[in-house]
Amino acid sequence: MIRVENISKSFAGTPVLRNLSFDVPDGRITALLGANGAGKTSCLRIICGLLKADSGRVLVGDADPALDPMGARRQLGVVGDREGLYERLTVREYLEIFARMQGLGGTALAEALAAVREELELAALWDRRTKGFSQGERMKVSLARALVHRPQHLILDEPTRGLDVLAVRLLRKTLLRLRAAGTTILFSSHVMPEVAELSDRVLVMAAGQVVGAGTPEQLAAETGCSTLEDSFVALAYGQRASAARVEGEPA
Amino acid sequence: MSGRKRSATRLLTGAAVLVVATSLGAQAEPAASAGPAAETCYADGWSESLRCYRIPVSADGEVALSVLVAPAVNGGQREPLYLLAGGPGQAASDLARLLNPLRKLNRGRDIVMVDRRGGGRSDAFDCGLGAETPASIERFVGKLATCYQASGERPLTINSRQTVDDLETVRKALGHSQISLWGGSWGTRTALLYQQWYPESLQSLVLDGVAPIGTKVFLAASAAESALVELQQACSDDPMCAGFGDWRAQLDTLLASWSEEQARNFPDPLTGKTVDEPIEAWMLAGAVRTALYDPGAAAQLPFAVAQASRGNYAPLSGIVGLFAEMEGAMPMGLTFSVACAEEMNRISAEEIASDAAGTFIGDGFIRVFREGCKVWPVPALPYEAPQPRHHPVLLISGSADPITPPKYADEQLAYLDHKQHLMVRGGGHINSARGCVPDLILEFLDQPQVPLDQECLADIQRPPFTAGNYGPALLPRVPEADSRLAEEQQSGSESAGREVAREVEGGSP
Amino acid sequence: MNRMWSARAVIVGLQQMAPLLRKELLEAWRDRRALLMAVCFSLMFPAALAGGTIFMVKKQSEDVTRLAVIGAERAPLIAEQLRSPGLDVEALAEGSPRALLAGDYDLVLEVTDDFAERYQDFRAPRLYLYVNSSDTGSGRAQRALQERLGALQQMVVAQRLSARGVAPQLLAPWRLETRDVSTPSSRGALILATVPGLLIMTLFIACLATAVDSSAGERERLSLEPLLVQPLAGWQIITAKTLAVASLGWLGSLLAIGALVLLMPLMPLAEFGIQQATTVAGVVAMGLVLLPLALLVAVLQILLALRSQSFKDAQTQLSILQIAPVVLLMVLDMAQIKLADSWQLLPLIGQQQWLKGLLVGDWVSPLWMLAGSAVTLVLVVMAILVGARALQRESLLSAS
Repeated sequence: MIRVENISKSFAGTPVLRNLSFDVPDGRITALLGANGAGKTSCLRIICGLLKADSGRVLVGDADPALDPMGARRQLGVVGDREGLYERLTVREYLEIFARMQGLGGTALAEALAAVREELELAALWDRRTKGFSQGERMKVSLARALVHRPQHLILDEPTRGLDVLAVRLLRKTLLRLRAAGTTILFSSHVMPEVAELSDRVLVMAAGQVVGAGTPEQLAAETGCSTLEDSFVALAYGQRASAARVEGEPA
Repeated sequence: MSGRKRSATRLLTGAAVLVVATSLGAQAEPAASAGPAAETCYADGWSESLRCYRIPVSADGEVALSVLVAPAVNGGQREPLYLLAGGPGQAASDLARLLNPLRKLNRGRDIVMVDRRGGGRSDAFDCGLGAETPASIERFVGKLATCYQASGERPLTINSRQTVDDLETVRKALGHSQISLWGGSWGTRTALLYQQWYPESLQSLVLDGVAPIGTKVFLAASAAESALVELQQACSDDPMCAGFGDWRAQLDTLLASWSEEQARNFPDPLTGKTVDEPIEAWMLAGAVRTALYDPGAAAQLPFAVAQASRGNYAPLSGIVGLFAEMEGAMPMGLTFSVACAEEMNRISAEEIASDAAGTFIGDGFIRVFREGCKVWPVPALPYEAPQPRHHPVLLISGSADPITPPKYADEQLAYLDHKQHLMVRGGGHINSARGCVPDLILEFLDQPQVPLDQECLADIQRPPFTAGNYGPALLPRVPEADSRLAEEQQSGSESAGREVAREVEGGSP
Repeated sequence: MNRMWSARAVIVGLQQMAPLLRKELLEAWRDRRALLMAVCFSLMFPAALAGGTIFMVKKQSEDVTRLAVIGAERAPLIAEQLRSPGLDVEALAEGSPRALLAGDYDLVLEVTDDFAERYQDFRAPRLYLYVNSSDTGSGRAQRALQERLGALQQMVVAQRLSARGVAPQLLAPWRLETRDVSTPSSRGALILATVPGLLIMTLFIACLATAVDSSAGERERLSLEPLLVQPLAGWQIITAKTLAVASLGWLGSLLAIGALVLLMPLMPLAEFGIQQATTVAGVVAMGLVLLPLALLVAVLQILLALRSQSFKDAQTQLSILQIAPVVLLMVLDMAQIKLADSWQLLPLIGQQQWLKGLLVGDWVSPLWMLAGSAVTLVLVVMAILVGARALQRESLLSAS
């Protein structure tokens, strides 16, 4: 479970996150939905410990990434936005190195590697250097890296960007399987249909705040709209100008 | 081996003292093998630093030799070259200037210069005759006698055997497994003796101005005469010099008629006044003989003699002045100990007479030694007949050398079967530094078995003769050539006639 | 107790770093371009040095100065006495000096019409020497001529003095004997002085591409962030990168040393009176003293490259920045500034001094080498800590 409590963050005097709070329950897929510039990436980076919040607190499981970054990172798997691979390494080398960094070794390592290879259909790519991989192949490798040590929490920043249908389906399949295993999944996106399709729960972000939370159906009901898109527009840009503090639902 | 033993026993009977010296040398070896300490030092004529050693050569360690080493620039992968000075008694440090022409050789080889006992920096035995050598033979001999009286046993201990044994001690102390020797003048004698006594330690020999073991080099009058005759020949071949006419006859006349007044009024080349001590005829002849050592000085002789015969003694005085610095260069105690025991004792009065007959120098050179050895009694130390040796040997001679003419090397070294002879045309005494000779020496040391290409020796020329008081002629004066040609022919036949007469005289004792 | 714990923490930390180090090494050594650059430069400069000296000596020993003597027949002795293996003398009746110099001749000597007469009359006749001083070889040619002409002049003077009954030593009231306190190895230091600087430069250049690639490059490729979210401390990341970069730089400089040592026997060092005295122990020591420096260079380059916005930017900045210390070293060396022993504690200067000494076989104090290397290593540790802090900079992350 990830808890975000009252975090604020500004860059060079421009506030990006304003007193942001939400919970991400275990065994659920939570989407962070927001327009570009809503603060999604900053929020995720604060959770990963890459950024420090100006105020407020984050808990990843029982670890605050600001105070115990190592503790938090051990429980995290992260797939960043548009991230790069190491082009001179093969997939196997790449995954093995990251698995080892996470403390895996011996048979546990071999098993973990075999598992992600299977799970993400990497067999054909396994001993190829990652240079020249397609977006979908890169996504698979990145996801494998984030999963190889079986983190309790998985964070994905715009994971569907640039993916073809097959890749999206694989991603969805994987996330659903992880959810079944009880993994806490938080991903950001600005693409409504995907959010609607993938997530159990949506957090609508606008101007550094969560302006709505719930299942797509709940949001629609709350805004009186028929689609998630309409609900999002209503929540993010419109009618509810006052910043409502939305309690995360208990897991 | 048996040769060495025999010579040792013979020396034992000849001079008891020598045996002591030899055994002392042998006992010194273990002490020296600990590795001698070197300090940085310098020698005049060579600007780079040398390593100086004091190598003990006596059992008590009290007698030590001064050894200078010019270390090889490239670490000395090849055998070192030991330079043996002339004399007997010339200081090894006098050879330091030879390092300049031998620079290339010094890249791969250490060059070692050893001052023998009683010479140079090894406790020079100079009898107080270093700075001031009396010009008159009587007073010189008087000083020598006093020195002998005061020196106890020392004159008896100094000889070539000891020098060679000391050299072997030094070789071992410096940790050299095999060495090559360069000998100059009397140093060639020492080198040839070393070859006889320590053939195992020797790689190759370079001998410049060769004094073979069997040659009585102190019988130097006829050698000097030949050198002068060759100078005459060279002069008559030179259109300008031929113009001096029969300067040789003028020289003979000058020496024969030299008066006491002329002797007293002779100008001093240093002060410009007349000399303090009269320059007698034999001294003048001595100066001419000395000038023949160096072709540059010899080139001034025709002019100087021609001038002197007209009463202008300045040029002749100038030639005396060329050697002003060389006075007292030898430690006389050492020189006489060796010369009397090893050379003068095997020369008879008849031999001196026949050698001197018909020469310009007469007995003028050897007289000092004959008189000196009378007050310097040392037992004769005759050499064994040399045994055949197979080391590569490079012989270097100047065709006009007045003391070790090329014929010595040609005639007296039949027992060496791997020798080459370099002849420098018109060369005087010691030619190792001239022209391409240093390169040939290096080539020889690197590949002793390969015959040298001697063509480059032809490039070594006699320096131009003095033409007038302006120096050498820049332009041969062609117009007067005819008259000179006639004179030249005349003088040539005269000297040839004299030569024949001298040989006949020498042939019938 | 506490210290023991922290030492153990460092060891555990280093163990944790192992997979990261493997990644960095794999990446560095698989970068063909960087590897090629390192190897090329490492081999290029010893080869250039060897080729240069060989060429120089060949030129020196084979070059013959060609001298034309105009009016040689007016004083044949001059042309005759000037002739020597290094001086090719051509006697000409007449000619235009300018044209001759433009042609094959290095020097033209003109003997005046009345030369011989004036000479005999002691009226100091003139010799005219035509040179083209814009010609690079003219200085050497003049020296070759002066040498021969000087000897001839000396001979004439000696004969003139003799003819007047004057001993030649009167012209030399004293004799100056030069005593050169240099040793073959110190002469070697003069000629081989550039080598330590070049070795250090090799280090810089061999490190450069990899340093940029593993920092600015990683940043540009957006592969830094996945690394930053791993449970690794900043110092571990910087250390791993430093080790990988230094490994390339160090091996580059080892390659250069090896090439140099192999080529040295081919170089005609003895021609310059230089001893070739590099020992096996010396070569090993040279390699070892370069190791801490390689680490320092690597970590500093990484720090600088991390600051830049892009790969290209980093490359440009580093290229400029790395010339500075090397130039400084060379200037220090050329200025022959006598430095106190304690200067050896400074990185770069220390290594340069030791390399110089080791190269020419001088004795180099192991104590100073140890102390100086320790200082360098302390600086490496400090730089790593600075780098660890730099990794926390938010500006390091990609904008999104």
